[in-house]
Amino acid sequence: MFEKILVANRGEIAVRIIRACKELDIRTVAVYSEVDANSMHVQLADEAICIGKGPSAESYLRIDRIVSAAEITDVDAIHPGYGFLAENAHFADVCENCNIRFIGPSSRAMNALENKAVSRVLAKKANVPPPPGSDGVVEDEQEALATAKKVGYPVMIKAIAGGGGKGMRMAHNDISLRKEYYLTRNEAEKAFGNSGVYIEKFIENSHHVEFQILGDNRGKIIHLGERDCSIQRRNQKVVEETPSPLLENKFRDLRKKMGKAAIRIAEVAQYTNAGTVEFIVDDKGQFYFLEVNKRIQVEHPITEEVTGVDLVQQQILIAMGDELRIGDIQFRGHAIECRINAEDPFDDFRPCPGRIEMYYPPGGRGIRVDSHVYAGYTVPSNYDSMLGKLIAYGKDRREAMDKMSRALGEFMITGIKTTIPFEQAILQDPNFRRGVYTTAFVEQLLGGARRELIEDRA
Amino acid sequence: MDLKDIKAIIDLMKKNSITEFEMEKEGFKIRLKRGVNGTLTVTPTEDGQAMAYPIQSSAPVAALMPASLQASPPVVSSEIEITSPMVGTFYRAPSPESAPYVDVGADLNSETVVCIIEAMKVMNEIKSEVKGVISQVLAENGKPVEFGQPLFKVRPA
Repeated sequence: MFEKILVANRGEIAVRIIRACKELDIRTVAVYSEVDANSMHVQLADEAICIGKGPSAESYLRIDRIVSAAEITDVDAIHPGYGFLAENAHFADVCENCNIRFIGPSSRAMNALENKAVSRVLAKKANVPPPPGSDGVVEDEQEALATAKKVGYPVMIKAIAGGGGKGMRMAHNDISLRKEYYLTRNEAEKAFGNSGVYIEKFIENSHHVEFQILGDNRGKIIHLGERDCSIQRRNQKVVEETPSPLLENKFRDLRKKMGKAAIRIAEVAQYTNAGTVEFIVDDKGQFYFLEVNKRIQVEHPITEEVTGVDLVQQQILIAMGDELRIGDIQFRGHAIECRINAEDPFDDFRPCPGRIEMYYPPGGRGIRVDSHVYAGYTVPSNYDSMLGKLIAYGKDRREAMDKMSRALGEFMITGIKTTIPFEQAILQDPNFRRGVYTTAFVEQLLGGARRELIEDRA
Repeated sequence: MDLKDIKAIIDLMKKNSITEFEMEKEGFKIRLKRGVNGTLTVTPTEDGQAMAYPIQSSAPVAALMPASLQASPPVVSSEIEITSPMVGTFYRAPSPESAPYVDVGADLNSETVVCIIEAMKVMNEIKSEVKGVISQVLAENGKPVEFGQPLFKVRPA
């Protein structure tokens, strides 16, 4: 049994991990940057170590300082959360070399899925093809043009080291491809330190459906159902739900097929611990492999609500060497999650860091709030703008939506702007309510609706 | 009674979930009370002021104690602090047998090595980076230090 775990993250996920540890009677160590000294995760942990100045590169990405903090506090394991060093195989190696268990996939599994280009090849091997596109990295403009010609426009140019919806651009013809190819490579170099890109056919009217997997160290891999994350704004997820209305209403047989495909991919990669296999589904029910997220994800709570499985605790138990014991997963009810960000939906979602004056989170039956913020807390400008997640659970989709609408109406955050009005508009939208939407949904909602419409619905 | 004893008592209180401790000896009396939310109230009878400190932080308890208990000179506002540039274990001397690199009263220039911070089995010599005279040693030998933690107080030259 682990006695102490260091949480190598911040914000709401650090709070989430600390909660899971407390319930398992495991002591916790928080690490924090100077600007996070008053953050909730620092208050909740048993011990806290300052690891540097505000910028992530000087704190949450400092492998040396984090491992040093782990050594001086004598922890058994490190949980990396999501983002930051969560999918950094080198970090996982350093931990293991220092006799500290890394709570996540083995570095072998991480290397097998090292970047998106490598993952595409692995998926093909597992008989789960990605959308048509380049075989691996596209080395130059000529290859880019040839690939686009082969698969047909429009195409997506994606950074192989990208993540979280960043590092991708679209091209509709040769002229824009030439421009976007170089732009993507430059941005990728700056953002991810890797300028490699691949090209993929853009699937119109697509749906983003992902499967949660868990694998223990003995090779047993299971899936815990799907999450529909098609409601995205500029490739950033906004609302997620399970089960997917698309699979429930239109393509019932896909769940079994896609679940098996997800497990097959995980097996080829010899995957361990928690992960998510992402797919793109088109309007005809054809599905394609997108990528594997080798970490716990932001939207993991909706899977927890419908399965009753604590995914973060499972991560810890698997890392301790336990075999997967959750057996036959039962799926009950429907869960929806809204990501609440400190952004102004009426000003092109401009980030609004600042001091939260009043904070009243919603409650009542079927409502869960995963957040680190509080009244008087100043949201720093150095990190992402997510304030927290609001999750609603109901016995069916209708009840979950009603609860989510009620909860969004009660959620009071003043002092900064939030995306709550935007999410209220989404929940009121007739297409969303019917469960008929694609990844173009948000664009259509924002493009068509005038400001007053959103304000009205809010 | 010195700081080590007080820290040992606090640790014992925490370990055994004791909330109040009072002791009197040789003209010195101290009362320690642990709050429900993890704060520690220290009431020395000398200045009769109760001060509450959160005990969540991993900074050595020495830094949380009121100045009167430390038997150290009063704080001079023009003094500057040498803070830790890394996370690790603080050592005052290159080896257990050697004399400390610097002591109170030592003259510093920017290149003077003032201590070692050991991180991941690597001994890092920490330079002063300021010119002046050491007026106080703030960190404890052999104890962990975090980024930004004050190590020494220096009267600038």
